[in-house]
Amino acid sequence: MDFFDLQPAEWQALILTLKVASVALAFALPIAILVAYLLARFRFPGHGIVNALVHLPLVLPPVVTGYVLLLAFGKKGPIGSFLDNTFGVSFAFNWTGAALAAGVMAFPLMVRPIRLSFEAVDPKLEDAAKSLGARRFTAFLTISLPLALPGILGGAILGFAKAMGEFGATITFVSNIPGETRTLALALYTATQTPSGDIAAFRLTLIAAFVAFAALIASELLARRLRNRIGGADA
Amino acid sequence: MLHILKALVLTILLVVPARADQPLTVFAAASMREAMEEIGTTFAEESGTDVLFSFAGTGTLARQIEAGAPADVFVSADAEWMDYVLERQAVLTGSVREIASNRLVLLAPAGSARLQPGASDLPERLEDERLAIADPETVPAGRYGKAALQALGLWDTVSSQLAPMDNVRVVLAAVARGDVPFGLVYRTDAVVASDALVVYEFPDDGHPRIRYLAAQTANGSHVDADRFLQFLKGPVAQEILHSSGFLTDKEG
Repeated sequence: MDFFDLQPAEWQALILTLKVASVALAFALPIAILVAYLLARFRFPGHGIVNALVHLPLVLPPVVTGYVLLLAFGKKGPIGSFLDNTFGVSFAFNWTGAALAAGVMAFPLMVRPIRLSFEAVDPKLEDAAKSLGARRFTAFLTISLPLALPGILGGAILGFAKAMGEFGATITFVSNIPGETRTLALALYTATQTPSGDIAAFRLTLIAAFVAFAALIASELLARRLRNRIGGADA
Repeated sequence: MLHILKALVLTILLVVPARADQPLTVFAAASMREAMEEIGTTFAEESGTDVLFSFAGTGTLARQIEAGAPADVFVSADAEWMDYVLERQAVLTGSVREIASNRLVLLAPAGSARLQPGASDLPERLEDERLAIADPETVPAGRYGKAALQALGLWDTVSSQLAPMDNVRVVLAAVARGDVPFGLVYRTDAVVASDALVVYEFPDDGHPRIRYLAAQTANGSHVDADRFLQFLKGPVAQEILHSSGFLTDKEG
């Protein structure tokens, strides 16, 4: 076997990891943008509580988050059984559950930079747009959102990275099922738990490092293009 | 500030001499928790040396011991991991001894009916749900479980419906919570569970003999390590193991 040829199990873990992280990002990012915008632009009762709730997964041990997800979204959990009965959507021992865990864990890491970049956008710009007849939503879509794009990109990258590497909440919530919930991080853990797993663990480490490196380079290129465009709009 | 510091130092000085000796550190397989804790208490009473336990999956413990973790005694739930640390000279060759054996059972949430002989109706009653099991690739209980299911001719049908978990205690919790309809654990775990009951007992000729092995680690310098190992084989500890549901020498 050529050392650089990926084995089926490694491909499986790699593709699953990308799938889980992408789905987590696709669902969590719009919500993160919305929550970040609300936190940045509005003062409302419970502002501090919402802010604290958003950051909880960042502060709690991941196992706790996984356990809470298990109790709430598990087969017998209140939300889990409701979703299962009404929509036939099940998270328990399913890759969708891994995506849910990854999305929840990545959420605070997305909200933070996005909120900061919304706060950096001058509210007067939105006011000006509104004075020219734009509705609030149009002003958000055409002014604030594009100007906050670097922060959104930063949040998305952080979130994606976190989702790819998520371990504690995932293994607690959806266990370690090959092809279903065994992402790279879990496959790596499995390899370290096997008496003869050193080479496998080393290979998976290389794969994980390579993917992370490629993603960082890609995001750097994207960020550079974005900066040029926003800079171009200023000139 | 200075007063607080003084108070702290005094407290530490007062507390430390109370434990004349260093405690003995034992790394033990998670499935032995309750029995080991009881044995530790009895040993402390008898010898005056406290026993400090770290419970985890056998594989995790073996890796930690290989990396030089400050354990004096290692209790492994299988022979393969004991061989692993032996090969790496992380435990003393002559000190290895078998202290107990165990059996495998299938658990179901309280109120479930027993399975047919040979667990032949397991696939049917599993429907599209999952069978929780300690990871068959890595955890001893899972490896034994895979062999036991193969011996019954059930492996091919249920292997696609497994929920592999970190250790038997996670399996136990998943069954007790009702997340899975069935879980494969040791007989001794079933004794600990209150919300789950045994619905099938595997014949013990379907899998390699389950062997709990204890040994002294290579860098474990504690004077009482050997004494603790002998204590594990002695009548008091063997009786505790026996009443916790482990198979001991008494039963052969």
